[in-house]
Amino acid sequence: MENRAVILGTRAVTVDYPGVRALDAVTLDFRAGEIHAIVGENGAGKSTLMKVISGAMRPTEGELELAGHSANFAQPSEAIAAGIAMVHQELNLVPTLTVEENIALGREPTGVLGIAVDHRAQRAQARELLALLGSACETGELVSSLSIGQAQCVEIAKCLARDARVLIFDEPTAVLGEQEAARLFVQLRRLRDEGRAVIFISHHLDEVVTIADRVSVLRDGQLVESFARDQSGSLRDARGRSVDAGRLAAAMVGRELGSLFPNKGAAIGGQPAIELIDFGARGISQGISLSVSSGEIVGIAGLVGSGRSETAQAIVGLRPQAGRILLAGSAVRFESAGAAMRAGLAYVSEDRKGSGLHLSLSSIANVTLPSLDAYTSRGGLHVDSNAERATTNRWIDTLGIRCARPDSPIALLSGGNQQKIALARWLETNPKVLIIDEPTRGVDVGAKAEIYQIIAQLARDGLACIVISSDLPELIGLAHRVVVMRGGRVVGGASREQLALRNCEERIMRIASGLSAELEACA
Amino acid sequence: MNRLSSRLQEALERWGVLIAFAILFAISSFKQGFDFVNPENFRALLNSNAPVGILAVGMTLVIVSGGIDLSVGSMVVLAAALGTTAMNAQIAGESSELNAVLIGGAVTIAAGIAAGCINGALIVFGRIAPFIATLGGLAAFRSMSLAIADAGEIRSQSATLFSALGRGGIPIPGLENAAGKPLTISFSTVIFLVVAVVAQWFLSRARFGRHLIAVGANETAARYSGLSISWIRFRVYAIMGLLAGIAALVQSSRMNSVSTSQLGLGSELDAIAAVVIGGTSLQGGFGRVWGTVVGVLILGMITNMLTISGVSPYWQGAIKGAVIVLAVLVQRPSRS
Repeated sequence: MENRAVILGTRAVTVDYPGVRALDAVTLDFRAGEIHAIVGENGAGKSTLMKVISGAMRPTEGELELAGHSANFAQPSEAIAAGIAMVHQELNLVPTLTVEENIALGREPTGVLGIAVDHRAQRAQARELLALLGSACETGELVSSLSIGQAQCVEIAKCLARDARVLIFDEPTAVLGEQEAARLFVQLRRLRDEGRAVIFISHHLDEVVTIADRVSVLRDGQLVESFARDQSGSLRDARGRSVDAGRLAAAMVGRELGSLFPNKGAAIGGQPAIELIDFGARGISQGISLSVSSGEIVGIAGLVGSGRSETAQAIVGLRPQAGRILLAGSAVRFESAGAAMRAGLAYVSEDRKGSGLHLSLSSIANVTLPSLDAYTSRGGLHVDSNAERATTNRWIDTLGIRCARPDSPIALLSGGNQQKIALARWLETNPKVLIIDEPTRGVDVGAKAEIYQIIAQLARDGLACIVISSDLPELIGLAHRVVVMRGGRVVGGASREQLALRNCEERIMRIASGLSAELEACA
Repeated sequence: MNRLSSRLQEALERWGVLIAFAILFAISSFKQGFDFVNPENFRALLNSNAPVGILAVGMTLVIVSGGIDLSVGSMVVLAAALGTTAMNAQIAGESSELNAVLIGGAVTIAAGIAAGCINGALIVFGRIAPFIATLGGLAAFRSMSLAIADAGEIRSQSATLFSALGRGGIPIPGLENAAGKPLTISFSTVIFLVVAVVAQWFLSRARFGRHLIAVGANETAARYSGLSISWIRFRVYAIMGLLAGIAALVQSSRMNSVSTSQLGLGSELDAIAAVVIGGTSLQGGFGRVWGTVVGVLILGMITNMLTISGVSPYWQGAIKGAVIVLAVLVQRPSRS
């Protein structure tokens, strides 16, 4: 395994930020034909390391080694020229151009005069690269009409068109559904087998265990442990013991994690807090009947595109709805999120950046926005900023939010802390029913456990919780029962007893992907 | 070193507009042969820039909400034309001058609000981009005023009262101008400053201001937070109309006439320029009225200095343009 050539190495790379050492003498090798995963909690130094490698930042000390020669990149363009390409989480494609135009962008093949684009050559190149990746998308299609998985593939092809020898994937599966992620892994393996070096960053430790040939763990800026896959194909630590996701998580946080999930406790079998009757988001989902009692956590599983989020948005009035909603027994219908909020419903969006939070505004402004009326007097002319600050500080304490100052923009906070701000924003409205969409997307392991504790505590305090998640272990560990959606309908479910069974995850997955049909009373 | 320069950058972003103003003010006072900080200088500056200042204050709110209003200059001329026409009709109809001025003023303000509401309705209910909707207003409101007066001038028939409103002011005790007369602060300046203070209050202390910022920073997230986006956006254009009406009143009473082809021409660009110089983000979600006020004064001062120095008016646009671009360059957020 050690005989593969090192394409790129970091040599005692150290990066100091004001007051913080983000990377501390990290030495790593990235080899041809190897998928090398970098894991660590948010703030462990993964992004800083990638910035150094991709030329976005110069190390304070130490250097990079490129094919045996020392190198430091002053700019991203130098790294790209050296064959190092980053596949960004937010895809850098031009949606109004076609697939082939995007792949060739900036280095279009031209005709004899060097003016006109040689479309034939451009198309041939795009076809070749997409075939290499095993993608079936049409080269003449507009990027705006592609699915996220396809667009990601175009992005990879674009990197290959620039002769990338080292490809960095930063959380590539965060935006993908289960099937698309599987397809991406096929592509990663192809890239590896082609002799390129693949650097893979992910919070999903199961994925890392599945795909990585080598795993390096960063903690507080230091390289704390490395694991490599042996001949038999299993990942092992230095003492030769087999490594699983739990072992990786322990290395990341530096201690054995107790159970990630809190004790479920008994669901209070009270009156239903919310009942959906033959409900749906118009044009997307239909026929959903579900009731959730106070103190109960109900999970909604399903693949991306199964209509889970849209249904939740319809419940709180963000989309046109069909069917009926009973809230504490009486029929309601909301035209806006504001009306739903006043009736005691809260929806924490899956997309913090786009629709969940105001990243350019302060913690205070974010926390109090929906409940601003409570701080307002004299007909809206006066907002009591002292009360706002007190409330925000209280949430910072209760939820354990780590932020420097409550009046700084939240854009710089970690995913976990932003998610807690989003929770605070909605808990401050005193909801009776809380719908949380993807509660831990882009959140590191430590904060994940905290968020689970918070949700469990809220349920114990009598809140009816609906948790939508693509992370099945999360739903199984957290929810009292789970319903499964597919194609806009509820197609199955798992009771509390079924959730305790060992094969539960696989069963839910089969239902969600349509492999096994099951319709049992679960509502 | 790095830290120092980022500190400097931050300070420049925050206070640069004030520093620029202080430097320009010193130069301008010096050039005009007055003492370094002569109140008379300041009074004249505020007075002559009050109308565009009132527009710029409204423009700040519109831009904070993520919009733009290109029709402000045309709203001013339409409101002024309608108001003055109504006033003249009252005087011709033998009602008292006071009544006529009151009715004319009310019509001016109401016309401004109505024009603003039309903009707001087109943008909110017609789902037309603010740039396009108000571009329509820019053409239409001006054209309507030209039609009312055959592209000519509407002279006020009020003998004294209307222009007293435009030219009068409140004497400030204890301050005298160069000629030894008491320094008066004009009604238009008072209106400008009151409007600015109220708007700054709204932006930083009132619920409506917070909502404007939230909508401008991330409209989707604001909608998900239960805010009524339509109502918030409609109101900000209506308020812009109200301020255009007030600016129209200030302008027409000062001139005691309305030139339908000239009044308010190009004001939208001056107002937007002042907002930008003042440090408000054109992307929305952040803004400061006090910065806009300083921006208005900087623009006014530059025009003054150029005129006094005998720079051809044809060149003044180029220099103003350079100042606007420079202001944005200096205040642009540091790359991270």
